[in-house]
Amino acid sequence: MKNTLTTLLIIAVFSVGTIAQEKGSVLIQNATLMTITDGIIENGDVLIVDGIISAIGADLSGPSGVSVVDGTGKYVMPGIIDAHSHLNTVSTNEARNPVTAEVTMEESINPNSVSIYRALAGGVTSIHLMHGSANVIGGQGETLKLRYGVTQDEMRFADAKRTIKFALGENPTRVHGQGNGIQPRTRMGVEQIIRSHFDEALDYRIKREAYFASKEAYEVDRRGRTAPPIPVAKNLRYDVLNDIIDGEILVHCHSYRADEILMLMRVFNDYGIKNYTFQHANEAFKVAPEIAKNGAYTSVFADWWAYKFEVYYSTAYNATILNENGVTNSINSDSNELIRHLNHEAAKTVRYGETSESDALKMITINPAKQLGIDEMVGSLEIGKQGDVAIWSGHPLSIYSKVEHTYVDGKKYFDLYMDPVDMRIAVDSEDSYAEAVFNTFIQGREEDSCMSDVFELIEQ
Amino acid sequence: MNIKTTFVDMASFLVMLLAWQQMPSMAQEVPAHAITNVTIQMADGATLENADIVWRNGVIEQIGVNESIPFDAFIIDGGDSLHVYPGLIDGMATWGSPETPRDLPRLENPGKPPYDRAGAQPQRVPGHYLNEDKAFEAAMKAGFTLVALGLDGQMLPGHIQPFNLSAPKLTQAHIFANPLALQGSFETAPGGWGSGAYPSTQMGVMAYFRQLMYDATALQEHMMYFEKHSEMTQPEQNDVLEALFPLINKEYPLYFEVDSKEEIERLFRLQDEFGFDVVLVSAKEASALSNELKARNIAVLASLDVTEMPDWLEKENKEAKKDDGERSESSEEGDSEDAESEELTEEELMFRSKQKEAWEKEINNLSALLEAGIPTGFTSAGLSPKELIQKVNLVTENSTLTKDDIVGLMTVHNANILGISNRVGTIKEGNSAHLILTDGPLFEKGTNIHIQVSQGVINDFMED
Repeated sequence: MKNTLTTLLIIAVFSVGTIAQEKGSVLIQNATLMTITDGIIENGDVLIVDGIISAIGADLSGPSGVSVVDGTGKYVMPGIIDAHSHLNTVSTNEARNPVTAEVTMEESINPNSVSIYRALAGGVTSIHLMHGSANVIGGQGETLKLRYGVTQDEMRFADAKRTIKFALGENPTRVHGQGNGIQPRTRMGVEQIIRSHFDEALDYRIKREAYFASKEAYEVDRRGRTAPPIPVAKNLRYDVLNDIIDGEILVHCHSYRADEILMLMRVFNDYGIKNYTFQHANEAFKVAPEIAKNGAYTSVFADWWAYKFEVYYSTAYNATILNENGVTNSINSDSNELIRHLNHEAAKTVRYGETSESDALKMITINPAKQLGIDEMVGSLEIGKQGDVAIWSGHPLSIYSKVEHTYVDGKKYFDLYMDPVDMRIAVDSEDSYAEAVFNTFIQGREEDSCMSDVFELIEQ
Repeated sequence: MNIKTTFVDMASFLVMLLAWQQMPSMAQEVPAHAITNVTIQMADGATLENADIVWRNGVIEQIGVNESIPFDAFIIDGGDSLHVYPGLIDGMATWGSPETPRDLPRLENPGKPPYDRAGAQPQRVPGHYLNEDKAFEAAMKAGFTLVALGLDGQMLPGHIQPFNLSAPKLTQAHIFANPLALQGSFETAPGGWGSGAYPSTQMGVMAYFRQLMYDATALQEHMMYFEKHSEMTQPEQNDVLEALFPLINKEYPLYFEVDSKEEIERLFRLQDEFGFDVVLVSAKEASALSNELKARNIAVLASLDVTEMPDWLEKENKEAKKDDGERSESSEEGDSEDAESEELTEEELMFRSKQKEAWEKEINNLSALLEAGIPTGFTSAGLSPKELIQKVNLVTENSTLTKDDIVGLMTVHNANILGISNRVGTIKEGNSAHLILTDGPLFEKGTNIHIQVSQGVINDFMED
């Protein structure tokens, strides 16, 4: 009997979760609305219709049959956006070459990872699924909506800007310089890898365009006097690098030290690249005015450091200093554990640097949205934006608050009061119970996710 | 009757003529072979009792009841109790392939490996790598008369080529037909952590594969130009890229070994980009994408290597059976098990329910594919004949798939998928003589395979 009930419960939960990209409607009434871009609205209502926020105000009524949630005493805020995550990658680092712009996390999404559900329980609705930091120019990123239970394609955030991971400093020099004895061995080498590859990409573009032109001339010349061109093959890596130079791809650069941050800004100015984000950037506070002047963004930890040499000179005031200097800064997790309480991480900026609560919340909502090129669609409670919201039991920056419901596109994906003990989508038919528990809940807890797949390389 | 006989005679004559032309050194006609007085399993599922079958030069000349057996025929008398089935076909195996090398030397620059170290060896043809392998004889004894051979490797291991299983040691002489496909997988570059190379991840394999296709496209274009303009720079010789020409020209399908639903979806992306035909190999989760496979006209060479029933489920089923039967015989052991199951946490109960669902999906993969109308065949995919019988039993006992269905997968379905159904897969006049003679229905306990005939060559396994 108990067994049957459990099965029914699973079916109930999953029949909600498995319908692909379904958009939902919900009316949340009488809550404190943390709009992010338009202050706080007390006793407010939010109406989401077919996945879009269609009204914000008081005493709203929804279409007939819309589910109504009493928000009395609760807080509603836009879903948290994590600008740096490896939450559900198949593999993270294609670590065998210092430049792998051609690979993409779009092809490394595991839609079945239970970590997606856990992040939803922390009020997160979107993540930036990133390549790791083993390579100077790593793979392209993919912005995802945490629609737990859908296919890998249906997790993708439609119309999000394309992104790519760069990495400076110790990780690429350790993996490639020390590991394989090739460039880059030093920070100077890192810079040259970037410059030389951009130059090669530009050179390729000229040759490829010349080939197309000659080919056309050859094909239209019916008298056969024009010599055919030697074909120049399409090059996936250089195409992506050219897209970066053309501004079609936003760079997110793993970096720590102030000098390497300045270096990359110089390089990018030389190639006309704009709208990039320094990830981690523990020493960014030293060069905050310069970052602001270049219009660059930062995405930092609240207080996580000292895990390797280049990360010793750090401070819990980093986010506040950057914010005070006018840098659009976000707080990220880069961790499958931290992602579940990014609200605490944002709150630390209030605690340490006395950042305003409103700015602290921006750092996990609208600011990461800007850095990912999705701020027109999400990141705040605004009419016309997508219905990605979380209902909190109390103020989201309070240590005592919990997420009660998380909605993506107006559809509920997390409910604190209907939260079965096992939310895995699938288990292996071969594993014993003990193995399955180990694989899902224990293994991988201690991993530095940014460098996963490459530990063995480094240890050589 | 007369017309038919004349036609058959003419056909036989043509076949003989053809055979004679192919073997100019033979002064005399090759003698015929016949199996008489047997039950023949025909293509349409019907059986022909007390029938005879005659072949010459590897080609079936006559099938029927009371046929006049050619005077020169070497006759095997079926004695009224034996069955003739079409020879079984393994849709893909890598028997005889050299093992993938171990202890590879460290590369100076793992980011730019030579093609073979990246896992790209599409130029390889199995006929050049036929090592001795006990699997050939084991397969023959299990009733296989033909195998589409591939090679062990990674992203692009080589060509797929069908071979007659007519001798325990295969040579080029046993080639059944020209290569019919390229072989592929998402396997990363060889060498492991110490000596590995790019691509080392699945996303890397996808990118590398694309780049190979682009490079091959450019090389082919260059070669076409050079044919007309010998004054221009000569294109490079590149057997790896040249081997991909049939793929970029969509002349060959890609036989791709892949199991998980997500990986099959990733393969679809590559197919969308390059437009080649795909045959899935192994494909344990393929039925989850039946609609998409149908829309894409993708065939599946499915593996029968399914997971054994989870222990707890087997125990539970046994208990249920026992309960249905004699309730009075509740042993002490049974009592303790009942006590154990009551101690299960809610979490473990949920785990079991999910695991049961996962296992049932796996075991029903083949039947679901067939029900959805997906062309489905069989690949041994590493299963030995002994394991195969176990898995056949496991699948037929726990899904709607019957043993006859499995014979169908291994004969007519596989012949269709491999594109060789005009010669094998069914027993009919004009087809190659790929036959097995058994003393009972295939895959049933106690059934022995007496004789295996591959392209007319007889192997008698009951002699010893």
